[in-house]
Amino acid sequence: MDGQRKHPIWAKLVGYAAFCLVILILPLFITDDYLLNKFARYLVFGLVAMALSISWGYAGILNLGQAVSFGLGSYCMAMALKLRTIPIQTGAEGLPDFMVWNNVKSLPWFWEPFHSYGFAIAAGVLVPTILALLIGTFVFRARVTGVYVSIITLALLVVINLVVIDRQRLTGGFNGLTDLAPLELFGLTFDPYAHATYYLIAVSLGAALFLGLAVVHSKTGLIMQAIRDDENRVRYFGYDVAAYQTFALCLSAAVAGFAGMLYTLVMAFASPTFLAVPVSLSIVIWSAVGGRASLLGSAMGAIIVTGVQGSLSDTPAFLETWTLIMGALFIVVVLFLPRGLISLVDRIPLGGSARRRAAAATVAASRSGINAG
Amino acid sequence: MTDIFNQVFSGLSIASILLLISLGLAIIYGTVGVINLAHGEFVMLGAYAVWFLEDHFGLGLFPCIVLAFFAVGTLGWVVERLIIRRLYGRVLDTILATWGLGVILQQAIRLSAGAELRYVQMPPGLSAAVHFAGVDVSAYRLFVLALTAILLAVTYVLIFRTRFGMRLRGVVQNPEIARCFGVNTSQIYALTFAYGAGLAGIAGALVSPLKSVSPDMGTGYVVDAFMVVVVGGVQSLLGTVASAGIIGELSGGLAYLSNDTIAKAIVFLGVVVLIRFRPQGLFALRVRRG
Repeated sequence: MDGQRKHPIWAKLVGYAAFCLVILILPLFITDDYLLNKFARYLVFGLVAMALSISWGYAGILNLGQAVSFGLGSYCMAMALKLRTIPIQTGAEGLPDFMVWNNVKSLPWFWEPFHSYGFAIAAGVLVPTILALLIGTFVFRARVTGVYVSIITLALLVVINLVVIDRQRLTGGFNGLTDLAPLELFGLTFDPYAHATYYLIAVSLGAALFLGLAVVHSKTGLIMQAIRDDENRVRYFGYDVAAYQTFALCLSAAVAGFAGMLYTLVMAFASPTFLAVPVSLSIVIWSAVGGRASLLGSAMGAIIVTGVQGSLSDTPAFLETWTLIMGALFIVVVLFLPRGLISLVDRIPLGGSARRRAAAATVAASRSGINAG
Repeated sequence: MTDIFNQVFSGLSIASILLLISLGLAIIYGTVGVINLAHGEFVMLGAYAVWFLEDHFGLGLFPCIVLAFFAVGTLGWVVERLIIRRLYGRVLDTILATWGLGVILQQAIRLSAGAELRYVQMPPGLSAAVHFAGVDVSAYRLFVLALTAILLAVTYVLIFRTRFGMRLRGVVQNPEIARCFGVNTSQIYALTFAYGAGLAGIAGALVSPLKSVSPDMGTGYVVDAFMVVVVGGVQSLLGTVASAGIIGELSGGLAYLSNDTIAKAIVFLGVVVLIRFRPQGLFALRVRRG
């Protein structure tokens, strides 16, 4: 990789484990529930940025519609919670309030199964995955790659966003789904400010990081990276390139959908702004700033960027210029630090590579000795 | 019958704006190999240029169109010099950089001109309806159609009948060989980018009296224009024209039958299905590799 030093796998594992430890013990030091909710949000962003890194950093598929998966996951969870809102806020026979206002007489068919938590949680992961499968099959089988894929995913995002806002009777339109009941599962209540919610998110992020690491270091992961570097060469080896690309897109969509569900828990509503272009742009920026080809880098990129954004949002002057700063930061990172902040960490010499470097130095010295002699 | 004619005409008028936007996009992509996601913001800047000049200096629409072309074109030139040229050979990264640029431009306008909607006056001579082939059509839309046709002809002459165009085609075919023959490729890239941006500026100026002007108006246009480029391909002017016509008429017709959103969704689905079954026939898949 561009002559960059690559750390051995144990160093990576130590880094990932340390990160997981930090996010798990964080609640011990935070007494303010509001602050904990904020951190939970940052971790969700970390999860969705990590998901993008699977398809973008490892398989070379720049999905500009990552917010589609995120938003659909969020809506799936919100639909289930909406149906459980206490009856005062819902219409007759548990009809969600916005449907009553829009003169919808009975629950639409696709809302029915969301009475079950099991179905809703499965749908939050599967709906984005199936959508990714469809797009992947259509696009990759036709050997469309590179920029066209990015444009198609961006167009998908814009279209889905418009449709969700347009079908107000079914989706809550511009207002989204508000007034949600908290998720109750296994005797735990996951309301936005609960410790349980934070732990659920932290554990999810940790598990996703290690699972992702396992995937990208598997044979499948190596082939994905080979496709990223030279698609045709992999094709000539006889691999089904489209299948691997579709897999990467689906895996990324599944994780992003899961992140979307968690986001509904943290925010206690779902809104069409979750599946809009600015969210997708932010996800790409986080991943680019942190390091697109590193799962942990992308996650930390999201946490750092949103963390800085969150701490600046108290000062109105910064809030207005923040978008300008983000745009400029994005361009600077793309121009001068294409592998993101994590590439700075990669430059730190570790035991293994130091030894290798010493060995290389010895070889070089002996060579020059030979030349001199 | 009148209904159908009206519908066809309204589709044509959508198509002509689309064509101007996608023409710039296609020329930039075909020559420089850059997908310019800030293209929608160039359109938006063209519209704001008209609003600003009209509001502050009382200029009419016609001088504004010319000024919008040069203002946005100059901006395109600067952007190419400062950002794009560092990214040749990194196609995916140009998407990112231009996306970031789009965000900056949008926010800059929001901070300087305000986030509220702005309105531009229709030129008095063109606000009337014209009796044409048995129906009343808006004179302004006819004007847009005519100007698009003229700009298309100008672009054709520029590419196929001038020395600049010859160099440009040489660079598209093989930049190395073109350089060997003394063609200043970096200058060609910069000018092409500027010209494409300028066309977007004109498109923005032309839509400003038809639609309200807002900082985020570009996003919708750029997506539609990409559909045009994807369907029509970047290799031929004719492909872009035909594709803009098809997508414009289709959007107009479907919007007439249902609404704008459903029309957009159906067109998008159509484009995705099209890509699956006719990827080579409808657009060239020549993605540049560094």
